Amino acid sequence: MGLLNPGALVFFALIPALVLAYLARERPSRVTVSSVLAFRALRGFRRERFGGWPRLDWMFFAEVLILSLAVLALAGPFTWKRTAPLAVVIDNSAAMQALTPAGKSRFEVAREKLDAALSVEDGRGEISVYVTAPQPRRVAPPFTTLTEARLALSRIKPTDAPNDQTTLENFLGNLASEARVAKVIFAGASALAAPVPARIHPIAVGDAVANAAIGSFSLRREVLGAEALHASLTIANFSPETRTLEIVVAGDGKEVARARETLGARETAALEFPAIPPARIYEAKLAPDDALALDNVAYATAGSVKNVSILFISPTPADAAGLNSIPGVEVTARTPDSYSPDELGSYDLAIFEYATPKEIPGVNTMLVMPPPNDPVFGLTVTPTAKVQIAGWRTTDTLTDSVNFRLLSLRGGEYFGTHPWMSQVVGGDGGALVLKGERGGHRFVATGFNPFPYLGKRNLPMSVLTLNAVSYLAGLGGSSGGYRTGQPWLVPAGVVSVILPSGRKKAAHPGTLFTDVSEQGVYELVNAGGTETPRAVNLADLTESDLSSSPLLKVEAANSGSAVEPVLEKASLSDYLLAAIIALTALEALIVYRRRRVAEAAS
Amino acid sequence: MFGLPDEFTPGFLARLEKLRIRTRQRYAGLGRGMHLSPKRGSSLEFNDFRHYSPGDDFRYIDWGLYGRSDKLYIKLFQEEEDLLTYIFVDASASMGYPAGDRKFESAILTALALAYVALASGDRVMLRVLGGKGGKVDPSFVNGRHRIVELARRLADLKPGGQFDFATSLATELLAIRRAGKVFIVSDFLMLLNSVTRGLGMFTAASMDLTAVQILGGRELNGQGLDGDVEVVDSESGERLRVSIGDRERTQYRETMLRLTREIKSFCLKRGLHYALYTTDQDFQQFFVRAVRDLGLAH
Repeated sequence: MGLLNPGALVFFALIPALVLAYLARERPSRVTVSSVLAFRALRGFRRERFGGWPRLDWMFFAEVLILSLAVLALAGPFTWKRTAPLAVVIDNSAAMQALTPAGKSRFEVAREKLDAALSVEDGRGEISVYVTAPQPRRVAPPFTTLTEARLALSRIKPTDAPNDQTTLENFLGNLASEARVAKVIFAGASALAAPVPARIHPIAVGDAVANAAIGSFSLRREVLGAEALHASLTIANFSPETRTLEIVVAGDGKEVARARETLGARETAALEFPAIPPARIYEAKLAPDDALALDNVAYATAGSVKNVSILFISPTPADAAGLNSIPGVEVTARTPDSYSPDELGSYDLAIFEYATPKEIPGVNTMLVMPPPNDPVFGLTVTPTAKVQIAGWRTTDTLTDSVNFRLLSLRGGEYFGTHPWMSQVVGGDGGALVLKGERGGHRFVATGFNPFPYLGKRNLPMSVLTLNAVSYLAGLGGSSGGYRTGQPWLVPAGVVSVILPSGRKKAAHPGTLFTDVSEQGVYELVNAGGTETPRAVNLADLTESDLSSSPLLKVEAANSGSAVEPVLEKASLSDYLLAAIIALTALEALIVYRRRRVAEAAS
Repeated sequence: MFGLPDEFTPGFLARLEKLRIRTRQRYAGLGRGMHLSPKRGSSLEFNDFRHYSPGDDFRYIDWGLYGRSDKLYIKLFQEEEDLLTYIFVDASASMGYPAGDRKFESAILTALALAYVALASGDRVMLRVLGGKGGKVDPSFVNGRHRIVELARRLADLKPGGQFDFATSLATELLAIRRAGKVFIVSDFLMLLNSVTRGLGMFTAASMDLTAVQILGGRELNGQGLDGDVEVVDSESGERLRVSIGDRERTQYRETMLRLTREIKSFCLKRGLHYALYTTDQDFQQFFVRAVRDLGLAH
């Protein structure tokens, strides 16, 4: 037994003070009257008032006892209790949606087995319930009874997100090492590799199931300005026999492509659809249906392959004029004074010429000859009257097909080494072209000015400009890439996100959006009400491979120790509070009854 | 005056002599008096006829009736006798408190005044004291108005004190009384209503004509002299109560006292008893003259 807050015992000094106050108080005058009959109705008036005189009858001592109990409760008394806290971990990843031959999902089987395991526990400690996907987390504060824990388990549903195996292994290892956890029951698709820590009781429900899946579904526009899109899909057959799979791609509900592919056991294939007509949302479906319906569907959007809109900020906005001649490119020019960061939400990319933004933009950005001492990007700039190209990365998308030998440059500036942008083109005095990614966005900085865009009249510079715009516009890259369970940055201007289930969630630009457990199309709503679709797919063939779930290698610090009861502090404050309430209620009842008796007698 | 309290002035005595005790029924007395008796006798009040029998006083033969019927009839007349009057004075400790209110003295005044009315009317009076300490009162009837002085002297030696159960004590007294008559009980009646009603109820059950005279102190009724934190002690039972008295409590106390008196009065009126309340802050002579009907007296 001990006290959490022994300092509170100083309040015991109040009790002798209370008794002294009583003893020191002025005694009431004594008057003999013919009869106390009529005084009985007055009895207790003063005693019932706050601060009334104390009476050294049993009630006074009851009140002293209540005060003592209250002081003791403040001191936080506790005893040591031997408990067996339990951690229950249920795998709620996408693979748990797979149906077993019995017709139930793996998740339902896992939950039933966990329920059965819990029914034989003695419930001598708190029970914590955890889920694994997208990240391991506790679903609620620890439960005190097995019934509550089982009820919480019954409310959990599997997500569309895969498990992060390393995180899950570390999480289980930490739980097994935790001194306050006596036993861990883990039910999931993956079995645990030997040696299994003694505290972990695994329940594996990952029996092999034949499955076929779409691995990835992406769109790209290969040529700037082209209408048609190029769709790429990967499909896999995770069954022990050869299967013929059919893929149907629909754009805004209308079939736009179809293919049939025969795949051998555990074989993967890539499907290309080079001329997909434009649509807002594309859906790829794999037939025939199988155990896991989730990976038989994938979504893509044309959001990043539409016409490229550019916000051009420059003290000389006329430099932007030539860019409008590029097919599929729309340019809006602003001077730095008239530019507002809020505008960026409406554009695919921004170009700052002789200027820099006051904060990292929320869109892909090109910096052209940024001024020195820029605090946002921290570029080290050395102006020079004549820049000289000394070398370039030949395999980079920015330098593709650029004939640097024909590039004629006059004045410019060299960049020093940058913490997160790497050099693509270098000169005698430093880097001339840098590129890098930050916060999910691409950035390019040039030490020379490629504008105005002159087309064929300055072909090497025009090719370099087109490469930069294509890189910044995301051309040549996948339009997909958003996966369930992986948070993404909320783009500038977006105020809310409508989830595939139809729920609307508020969003703040620049923050991570974490409610990404559902597969489907998310609508990003900006302040003006415009909705931009974003496809989020499972896109994880490891998760889709239901024929062999990976083994989890869990290492615990105390892997050798068996299940042991844990010594836990059990607070006595609740009992003291209950005693205080009971005593107070008893006193109130007796005072009431006394008054009733007095009233009846008078 | 002649050993009587100061309140008994010649003028007051003269007014008392004009009063007589009124009863709701006829009671047999011990001698001739002014009250109709249930007996037949020689008063002027005609009562009935009966056949003449030898030996009857032929002065009462109705000769007119003999003339009409040729038969002799004797006229019977109502007897008039004195009234047996019992006056009970509460001398328990409660009558001595509050000391400044002179409740017991007022009770003695009331008892003497009632006794004088009875004696002046030729009735017999028996004065009984409940509780008390000091002098003794002879438990026998007295008659003749001059005996009032003797009664006053005996009562003057009495002091309030002691405790008795009202109902039990009256029951004992009732056993000692052999003949019915008029009963006056002079008390503060500061006791449980149940005890009061049981005590008074016994007299009505014994066909007594009863008048309850309640004597309360003026300060006692209004709760004067009590303020702040007070431990009040019951003068008889010694029970102690701690109360704090302010304006609100004083009002509530007065309301309780008035309610107690109303309950006793209500009981008396329902049973056909007379009830009078005298508070010691009133003038005694004026009270007695004004409350003639309440006291069960008549001019």
